[in-house]
Amino acid sequence: MSLTINLRRFVPTIASIFFMLVYTSLYSQDADSTGVDSGLNAELISAGETLFKNNCLVCHEIHEQKVGPALADIHNRRPVDWIKAFILNSQKVIQSGDEYAVNLYNEYNQTLMTSFDFSDDELNAVIEYIKSETIKGPPVQEVTVAAGAEGEVARESAFSAKVITIFLVVLLIVLVLILVVLFILVSVLTQYLKQKVELSDEDQEIVFQKFDFGQYVRSPAFIWVMTFVFTAIVAKTVIDGLYNVGIQEGYAPTQPIAFSHKVHAGDFQIDCNYCHTGVRTSKNANIPSVNICLNCHSSIVKVTGATELSTEIQKIYDAKANNTPIEWVRVHNLPDLAYFNHAQHYEVGGIECQTCHGPIEEMEVVRQHSNLTMGWCIDCHRTQALNTKDNAYYDKLVEFHDKNSKKPMIVEDIGGLECAKCHY
Amino acid sequence: MNNGNIYHILLIALGISLWSCKAKNDFQGLEFAPNMYHSVPYEGLSQITDENEGNWLSNREDGLGEFYNSNPNNPHYMNMREPVANTVKRNEHGYLPYRIHKDSAEYAGRVLTNPIDSTAEVIAEGKTLYSIYCTSCHGETGQGDGLVGKVFLGVPAYNLGRVKELPEGQIFHTITHGRGRMMSHGSLVSVDERWKITRYVQILQNQN
Repeated sequence: MSLTINLRRFVPTIASIFFMLVYTSLYSQDADSTGVDSGLNAELISAGETLFKNNCLVCHEIHEQKVGPALADIHNRRPVDWIKAFILNSQKVIQSGDEYAVNLYNEYNQTLMTSFDFSDDELNAVIEYIKSETIKGPPVQEVTVAAGAEGEVARESAFSAKVITIFLVVLLIVLVLILVVLFILVSVLTQYLKQKVELSDEDQEIVFQKFDFGQYVRSPAFIWVMTFVFTAIVAKTVIDGLYNVGIQEGYAPTQPIAFSHKVHAGDFQIDCNYCHTGVRTSKNANIPSVNICLNCHSSIVKVTGATELSTEIQKIYDAKANNTPIEWVRVHNLPDLAYFNHAQHYEVGGIECQTCHGPIEEMEVVRQHSNLTMGWCIDCHRTQALNTKDNAYYDKLVEFHDKNSKKPMIVEDIGGLECAKCHY
Repeated sequence: MNNGNIYHILLIALGISLWSCKAKNDFQGLEFAPNMYHSVPYEGLSQITDENEGNWLSNREDGLGEFYNSNPNNPHYMNMREPVANTVKRNEHGYLPYRIHKDSAEYAGRVLTNPIDSTAEVIAEGKTLYSIYCTSCHGETGQGDGLVGKVFLGVPAYNLGRVKELPEGQIFHTITHGRGRMMSHGSLVSVDERWKITRYVQILQNQN
């Protein structure tokens, strides 16, 4: 009984929920089928979507300009036949003198669109997809959570650094305060002892003792120690100075273009070999020529975060336009009397660039990291095991070496300390 | 005592002056026997165009500075020159240079075949070269998602659409002369290396 009564009471509520559900489902279906309403073919759209994502998306977005123009509304801007002809062979359309195509070509830095060998059905599908996307309108921008999280991490580390600094400053202030308090205590106590308490002779001597600075300074032991320390410091400076002569460690010249290895090798992780083409094959690592800069900077014209063409990147374009070399300043300079070969060390020896050049990927301006003295070379040759793996040249040497020794074969073992290896 | 003082002062002065010889920023440091640091023969990478540089220790017969090592007969006093017009470089295989015109990528795709077999060794080498020269834009797996590629824009995935079907000759041609926004990489990698990279790219084309 009570159950039916309850049900009766709830009927209006249940009914209203039911109607709401029906209404929302109808409404959402409505939103989905806007395409159908406007006479578009859903099957064609999905085929077009696949084609678009696999081929066009690389350079085109529907609602924003990427490499090529935004494609929304293209079916209203241009006749279908024109669109088809342009996709099939844009070069042909441009060469035919079509005004719109020529303007487009010039507007986009004379970048040619790749020709796509699509069938007529495929072309229709792609256009249908663009139509449907145009009707949908641009997607609502979502705030990326990942970026926020990253920022938070950065903020957190900055925060902890701040906390440490504040803590140290407070500690310092407290320590100074303690020192002041102790000093006050001592002087108060001395005052008190002087006036109030009768002291034995021995205690009096301690309380009223005076610190005679002059006497200490004039003592032979003090003079001797000071002379020794002074002479030692001066001698060390002189010897260090002498060792610095002819050593260019720390040399970091200003270059004609403020090129940052930190951005290129660090942030973008471009392999050293990409620009320094000689490392794998020759004695010199080589400084890249302008065409190598332009491989990327043909399109990348702004520094990260900037909105305008970078003046430094402009220098590359000037060099190309005027056919003038960019005069980079050499940082690492080994005298002619010593022979060094990059390929031998990198390609054969498997030594990392950073072993000698230091953390290049963190340097805004390249700095000579190692001192490049003979002692520095030799130190490594005395300890570095040879990279003999998969290198037939070393097979017999390794075999011979292993017969006589249990240690790995190091550079010294194959004559790495011989004068004439590097000086000839 | 007096003598000692003078001795000390001299030592300090020497110490400070020597300490300031250290290389820093634009200062290259004091050179010991400077003639040794400056190449007498033409050097492409450390070229000095100022005729008077090193005058103070020069004993050259032509009266120019000791460090001057540029070639006044070349444009911009450069030590390197471009090859003579209408000549070609010989290489170890006796190949003629690659001569298909840069606009004939499709033709290259039809007529060229890879002279290098697809062995495990070649593919490993191709992969190493790929990671040096291609990864920045095309990404580790050829999805066009390299760190530079994301800024460069317009880098296609190898295993989708039109690019998936590219024949080996056209891949080789694209590396050599570039295509669209990709610039020529012919000066970076040799002919052999290009064919090895092609072998590896074909593997990436066929991934799902």
